[in-house]
Amino acid sequence: MNGQALKAEWIKMKRARIRWVTFVAFSLAPVLGGVFILIIRDPVALSKSGAFSTKAQVMNFSADWNSYLMLLKQAVGVGGILVFGFVASWIFGREYSDGTAKDLLSLPTSRARILNAKFVVYAVWCAALAVSNLLTGFLIGSILQLPAPETSVVLGHLNDYCLTTLLTVLLGTPIAFFALWGKGYLAPLAFVSLTLVFAQVIAATGYGSYFPWSVPGLFSGAAGSYKEQLDIVSYSILVGTSIAGYTATVMFWRYADQNK
Amino acid sequence: MEVIATQSLCKFFGKVPATDHISIHVKQGEIYGFLGLNGAGKTTLIRILLGMIQPDQGNVYLFGKKLTPKFEGWNDVGYLVETPFAYPELSVTENLKVYHALRGLNDPASIGRIIDRLKLTPYAHTTASALSLGNQQRLGLAKALLHRPKLLILDEPINGLDPEGIVEVRELLLEMAEQGATIFLSSHILGEISKVANRFGIIHRGKLIRELTVPELKEQLVKKVLIQTRDNRKALACLADGGYTTTLSPENEIAVGDPAAIANPEKLSALLAAAGMPPIKIVVETEDLEMYFLRTIKNHDNT
Repeated sequence: MNGQALKAEWIKMKRARIRWVTFVAFSLAPVLGGVFILIIRDPVALSKSGAFSTKAQVMNFSADWNSYLMLLKQAVGVGGILVFGFVASWIFGREYSDGTAKDLLSLPTSRARILNAKFVVYAVWCAALAVSNLLTGFLIGSILQLPAPETSVVLGHLNDYCLTTLLTVLLGTPIAFFALWGKGYLAPLAFVSLTLVFAQVIAATGYGSYFPWSVPGLFSGAAGSYKEQLDIVSYSILVGTSIAGYTATVMFWRYADQNK
Repeated sequence: MEVIATQSLCKFFGKVPATDHISIHVKQGEIYGFLGLNGAGKTTLIRILLGMIQPDQGNVYLFGKKLTPKFEGWNDVGYLVETPFAYPELSVTENLKVYHALRGLNDPASIGRIIDRLKLTPYAHTTASALSLGNQQRLGLAKALLHRPKLLILDEPINGLDPEGIVEVRELLLEMAEQGATIFLSSHILGEISKVANRFGIIHRGKLIRELTVPELKEQLVKKVLIQTRDNRKALACLADGGYTTTLSPENEIAVGDPAAIANPEKLSALLAAAGMPPIKIVVETEDLEMYFLRTIKNHDNT
């Protein structure tokens, strides 16, 4: 019946206009990166754009593939928390906002299988966003004729990019729980906003390696060299948070009273 | 065979009992009308029957099997709980495809059949968000009936339907019951329930206060002779002299409840005519289900 649940989710996904919104939102990072490069290359524009210039200096940003791919990684590690969180909020919260949750509770396909199908759709959607982000970046980088990079540099960044995506995707499970518990979009979106704020604040205090929502950002290099800050405990906390979120989501839908 | 059986079901929300020791037994082929005021506990009981709410006490048995999270008989059950909602951006057909998949059905033609049966064919490719309230209700019923269930649990199934739709749903339910399906039906439109149900349960403040079949209901319905004359005060005195117990209603109608009067209303007419007060109206009125329901809960509150 897993296939049946996936088929049902696929039918729902096909008509979801919201998915284009997420792709547009997520493509802002490579576009902004391209704008950065254009300004950096133009001394006149750079002298006029004080804020951009300062930001580029703080990020140690230069007009090459190394900087550009670093920016894309950070977009997934930090921006992904927000956009992937939005995706999870929508996939799991929509059943309550649309009033269809009650129609999924007494079916031959178990509630756990329906949730599993939703998690699969969530992971595929996030992966598609990450790939689209990367492809947009490569397209813009090619159009801007960035100097040819070393293969090892690109492969290293791609490896980190994929791992950052994975770490960020894993943090979707607690959001799914808040969507079911809050019976709609509001609670999970509030949770995503809070985690985003706390991730920045806690990372700034130096304890980000033990706060799951800071880990993808640190891993992506958003706060400098991640290898010095993250260890096995950091990854264990993140994976543990993901497992706890998944378990809570399935248990809640299986055993909690469903009044809506 | 008992299709639905509950044993002393209790569910409390805080200290308020939503269902209070409810035991009901619904046999195969029955249409069970479940009546209650808003907040009486109807929807809570229906959600318990569907495994959406866990009772604090008692058990539910569907088709003789205890209802647990591992219950495997859901393809024998169709349901519609409260307002029917659908995925707004999906068409009628696509909405049904979702449940066709989730129920693991193999016959793709079943979607077209149920669309035809519920007269949704002109709207098959219309998105649910563009449907009228009545057609959304039809789509909700289509979801419940798609897999030809043996048990239908319907909460307010005719809300929003026009008179033609109400008749169609009534005929559909009667046809399903004839074919052996069991129907558990809740509605506040008691006139409609009285036309289809063959057994009734009345829930009030979480308690099942009355359960009766149609013949039992007919026996319990209060009958009275209603009379109007040109001078009701004199007529009252005349009937009292004749040995009848009478009351004058706020509508200025004389009500006579004696069994003898109900059996032979023409004797009242003759008595009044002989006294020079021939009735301008005389009718034997039988209480309907709505009046019976209201009287029952009022009596319960007074005891």
